[in-house]
Amino acid sequence: MKAALATLALLLPLQCVAAEPTVAPEPPGLWSGPMVSDTPATLQGAQVIDVAGLLRLMPHRPLLIDVGPADRRPDGLPASTVWRPVHRTIPGAHWFPGAGRADLPPAQVEALLQRIGTLTQGQREAPVVVFCKPRCWGSWNAAKRLVQAGYSGVHWFPQGVHGWQEQHETAAVDAESGWNDAPATPP
Amino acid sequence: MKRQPLNLVFALALVMATSAISTAWGATDASDPQRQVRWRELQQDLFGNRPIAPGAHLIQIEAPARAMDAALVPITLRVPQPAGVKAVHLVIDENPAPYAAKVIFGPAGDPRKLSLRVRVNDYTHVHAVVEMEDGTLYQTSTFVKAAGGCSAPAGASDDDALQGAGQMRLRLHRDAQAAEATLMIRHPNFNGMQMNQITRMFTPARYLKEIKVTQGGRLVFDMTSDISLSADPVIGFGIDASAPGELAVQATDTQGQQWSQAFPAPGGAP
Repeated sequence: MKAALATLALLLPLQCVAAEPTVAPEPPGLWSGPMVSDTPATLQGAQVIDVAGLLRLMPHRPLLIDVGPADRRPDGLPASTVWRPVHRTIPGAHWFPGAGRADLPPAQVEALLQRIGTLTQGQREAPVVVFCKPRCWGSWNAAKRLVQAGYSGVHWFPQGVHGWQEQHETAAVDAESGWNDAPATPP
Repeated sequence: MKRQPLNLVFALALVMATSAISTAWGATDASDPQRQVRWRELQQDLFGNRPIAPGAHLIQIEAPARAMDAALVPITLRVPQPAGVKAVHLVIDENPAPYAAKVIFGPAGDPRKLSLRVRVNDYTHVHAVVEMEDGTLYQTSTFVKAAGGCSAPAGASDDDALQGAGQMRLRLHRDAQAAEATLMIRHPNFNGMQMNQITRMFTPARYLKEIKVTQGGRLVFDMTSDISLSADPVIGFGIDASAPGELAVQATDTQGQQWSQAFPAPGGAP
């Protein structure tokens, strides 16, 4: 395991050189700027973890929340094109595509919090890990929402699926049932 | 073929039975049963019930195990025994539009080597299938670690990116065994998954759907490509340098725009 982590430590800087040149300051509330851009190093009220941190947390069976967006069939794609999007994530994770949008409709915020309440059996101190992929403000926002809702065991995992799959297999998942992806474009 | 559904059921059962194992910190080794099921489904989508035999001796893939730029992953397909080969197919399993390219070779074609650059959305198996003139199919695969290549934003504004679309260059390399051409075509190859972060709008898909090359009027290859092909496609292919006639390229995009250009005969003769 040590050797694997050492290898990971060697590989990660190579992978992230282009992806994380600077660190953004923490906004006071939810971030509504470009959703794929530099993220902060911190999130007040939550713990920021890396892959090693996630591995240490795993024995406590945290609730894993992936908010990465779903691929939508592109405009302009010929009808004959075989379109078969698949979403792979950390095994066991619940996928709420697009749940990190700052402009998520209130009804959807309510549905998200309700579902997470059910999954954590109403325990606000339950360990929860929120992620998508590097430079993804969606995971920061979703973690922020949980902190604001009173969760005390929130972990933000900014490396997300990309960091995880460096050394670990992922699993294909469907979106959480009953969860409608937030619209990709403003109405 | 009647057994296909049973096989699928079995595979699914296997997925469920082994999901506990695959969550147990196993390094990504591509043996995940879900990935096997995915390939079987794609096989059905693209080739129907036609059997595809393992054929590592007939078709080979060269690809980086770990790509530095997921939007520009170099892939080379090699066919060691070109006699009787009709076409090669490239499938990037986990891409949302997995059928990256179909290349039909003509009488002036040389299937021994074909290279191109692709976008890879997530860690994936890449399958290459060779199709013989008698219709039989053989496949091989490799695993590529790259992610994010499909949603990587285009560098310029949409209009700027389309400036000069269709411009082509052709470079020839020759050694004792063979002659090779490298064709470069300028085109943003919008895949429809690149978001303008200010407007939150996706640039609609617009890409080269067909690239056809002839030499002296005889077909070298006819490639049907998809959104997995990288922006500004670069295609390497074998040619017969001693054959007469100029190399003519015709490229067509999904908006129906077409560009043609002719290059001098590789051997220097008219």
